[in-house]
Formats: sequence, C-alpha cells, structure tokens
Amino acid sequence: MGRLDGKAAVITGGSQGIGRATVELFIAEGAKVVVADLLASEGEALCDRLGPDCVFCKTDVTVEDQVRNLIEVAVKRFGRIDCLFNNAGILGQTGGIESMEVDRFDRVMASHGRSVMLGMKHVAPYMKQQGFGSIINTGSISGIQAVSAYMDYSAAKAAVIHLTKCVAMELGEFGIRVNSVSPGQIATGMGKTGPDALEKAAVLRELNKTRQPIPRSGMPEDVAFAALYLASDESSFVNGHDLVVDGGLIGGSSWTERQRMSASVHGALQRQA
Amino acid sequence: MQKRLKGKVAIVAGAGSTGVDGLGNGKASAVVYAREGASVMLVDLNLEAAEKTRQMIEQEGGTCFAFQANVRQRSDCEAMVQKCLQEYGQIDILHNNVGVEPKTFGGVLNTDDAEWDRVINVNLKSMFITSSAVLPSMLERGSGAILNISSVSAERLSPGLFLYCVSKAGVNTLTKAMALDYADKGIRVNAIMPGLMDTPMVERHKEFYGGDREKMRQLRNERAPMKRMGEAWDVANAALFLVSDEAKYITGQVLAVDGGYLCKP
Repeated sequence: MGRLDGKAAVITGGSQGIGRATVELFIAEGAKVVVADLLASEGEALCDRLGPDCVFCKTDVTVEDQVRNLIEVAVKRFGRIDCLFNNAGILGQTGGIESMEVDRFDRVMASHGRSVMLGMKHVAPYMKQQGFGSIINTGSISGIQAVSAYMDYSAAKAAVIHLTKCVAMELGEFGIRVNSVSPGQIATGMGKTGPDALEKAAVLRELNKTRQPIPRSGMPEDVAFAALYLASDESSFVNGHDLVVDGGLIGGSSWTERQRMSASVHGALQRQA
Repeated sequence: MQKRLKGKVAIVAGAGSTGVDGLGNGKASAVVYAREGASVMLVDLNLEAAEKTRQMIEQEGGTCFAFQANVRQRSDCEAMVQKCLQEYGQIDILHNNVGVEPKTFGGVLNTDDAEWDRVINVNLKSMFITSSAVLPSMLERGSGAILNISSVSAERLSPGLFLYCVSKAGVNTLTKAMALDYADKGIRVNAIMPGLMDTPMVERHKEFYGGDREKMRQLRNERAPMKRMGEAWDVANAALFLVSDEAKYITGQVLAVDGGYLCKP
C-alpha cells in the first residue's frame, strides 16, 4: 500500500532534479502525476518510463493560461487534484545590486513568485470543492538567509516562503494545507540540460560535502521525501510551515568558513562553464 | 511496503498519557514507532501509564516494554540507557516527550523559585540529561536521531504562560545546538512544536473556559487557522518522519504541527 494511493498530483519543474526525484517517489507511493516543465523531451521520457499514471504537460509556469490549462489537464485526466508541487524555477544572476540586469531580475522573480502565485490561484477552486488538498512550494534556504551573491533568487525565494504562509492562512479552513520546502545545497543540474546537467550535479555532489554540518551533499531524494511527507495525510495538521532540508546548514558554520566555501564552489562552476 | 523503522530501537520518554487512559503525543508516537517496526522502550514516571501504552502496542503485535524513570534524575536516565542496551542492544531513537505546564497562571511575580525550577527541570533539563545519557551509545555507532517535543509557545508568547514559553524556547535552542554539535557524527536532532492540540494534557485548560469541556474544544477549534485542533496522531506522524531515514538530511529543525497557528497575525 502506497502512502499516496488514490491521489493525483501536479509537479512543476518535474523533468529533472528535485522535481524528477519527487515524481518518481510519488509514483512509487501510488500517486498519479502530471509532470509540468519546459524541458519536453526529458519530461516525456520520464513519463514513458514511469507508465500511464504519469503524464507530461509542457508548461511555462509564468504564463497564466498555461498554468490554468495544466491544472485542467490534471483534473480531466485523473478526476481530482490532491497535491500541487510548485517546484519550477530558474537560477538568479550573480553580481551585486549595481550590475543587476533588470529584465533578468523580472524573469527570476516571475519564475518563482509569479509561478507559485499562479499555481495556487488556479488550483484553489478545485481543492476547495474537494475540501481537501496539499500545496507545496519550493522555497530555499536562500529565502531565509540573505544571499547577496544571488540576491534576485534570494529575494524571490523569500517571496515564495511568505506567500506560502499568507495563502495557508486563507485556505486552511477549507481543508487545504499550504507549505513550503526549503532545500539547502542539493546536487542537481539546475540551469543546465542533458549531459551538462549530470556533470553539474556530479561536481556539486563533491563540492557540497563540506558546505553544511552533515558532511555530504543534499540529494534530490532528500527533498522528495520531505515533499512526500507534506503531500501525504500524515501531515494533515502541518500548514504554513517552511520545512528546511539542508543538512543543518542554516544552523551553521561560521560566516568566514561559509564564504570561503562558496567562493571555491563558484570558481569551480565557472571553470566548468 | 517495508516498515519505516524496521530494525530500529526507540526510547520514548513520556510514553504514558496524562490521565493514563487517554491518547497523548508520547503514547501515539510510541504506538506509531512500533507499528513501523521499531522496538520501543516506554519510559514514564507513572509506570501504570506506560503499561497502558505497552498493552496497546502488544495488542497490535508490536515489540516494547515499560520502564519507570524520573528523567530529571541522571541516575534514572543512566539506568534507562543500560536497560535499553541490555534488552535491545542499541539505541537509534530518543524521543523526549516529557513536559509539564506551570501550576500557576501569571507572570514573573506570580511564580516562585521552586516553580521555576520544577518547570525548567521537567521541560528542559530532562532533555539535556536524557540526551547526554543516550549520546555516548549513539556516538559509538555513528548514528542516531533525537526528537524533542517543544511547543508553539516557544515562538509565540501567551499571556500568563511565560515560564512554559521560556522552557520551550530553551528546548528549541537546545535542539539546534545539539544538531550542530553532532551532525558530523551521524546524529540528527530535531524538534516538533505542537499547536492547539486535542490531547489529554490540555484537559485541565477547561478551567479557563468555566469548566465547560465542549466550550473549550469549540473555542480552541476556532482559534486554529484550520478551524480544528490537532490530534496526537499528527504529532506521532511528524515524529515518525523526522526520526526515520527519510529525513536523514534534516537536522536542527523545529517542525510546527500547528495547523498554521504560528503564521496567524
């Protein structure tokens, strides 16, 4: 018996990384899943591999019509929607406030804040009608701490975490829970595709070993298990919470140590690019 | 499905329920651990209460035994660890559920030194003592999970409850500090902050509602953003997640199981 038997979920950014690990886990636990992503070939291959309970829907999560359509696809296909995991997002820009590219800033804010808002906006009516639902938004520890190296990303994730709590206050009484999960340093290929994504994940897996108190990199599965807990009925009284999966990072090492480590990671990634 | 705590050994301190027959957070957690395959040592100051939990687990076919201990006393905690190692050979999980509410409702001027010592010792010092008794065995094996039951009172003050709030804030900080200290040794430490719960411990709150239990339940339900209180099973399921290997990258976290109470303006 799976922990998500009979449930239907939509997972955005599901083609790779944390999203993909969550798709795989949810399917293994008995859920039916709509995978949304811009990366169509990866997403379609994933769904082919996982069988008929997993369908792909190419979606730009910053476009309202596409998000509305995504939710409709899930409801039409599976007759219900128990969980929406708003996980898609893009990387921020490096550099300080003076070199901020304004268009890029808007895209980063939209990919996190606007997309999460749109997902919640369009899933809420269905979940209210059911009297049940779990919305999970991907925050980040950089939405809790101020990361000046990625300040647009950091600010966008703070918006995600706070919007989560606001909507949790609105929807709680309808039996809908809204929570976020904030990953720490996770080895994924975010921002890259194909072999480059794999290479980036491998590099990070090595570099992240010493970046937090638990001496290993976070893995997509670590976050997927947190999402499973939040999606399942086991968390039916957890609402408005930001669940941090970071190996103890925000509890932390000294700033000096952390800055030294960050510098070495950014240097290595730049060499890879 | 594989049981999620298969082969693990848990000590649940405060495994009996207030009023013996009810279902508190500690009892529900012990039951869930056993259902998921753990062998559970049921520790309580009130042996009769721990025995009730034992009966419930054994009726379901689980493995456990009851043990009387005062977790404020180091000698009792050392005996507890010795007994657990003797019975089960290892300790994977320490679940600190023991806690009391202050006898008096009021501020600093309504609280005497003895009451301060009592509440801080039961709610905070006990977790320090049980942890320090259990840690050497966990360190030796390079793995372990400690879970402390805190309260939303740690982060949100309520008038008249300052001493409880102080003790639970201490639990949160103790949790984060221990997590940081032992993360590289394979030991995780997390806490749960239950919100407004429908459990036996809050039964005595009815005196604030004119002794009317139903009125108390109704008003407490209304105060919660989900318009209902939580159940002991909610805390037990959160505990199961945090002590299981599914949360092996989560440490130093304080999980609110409060229906959104802490977000409420």
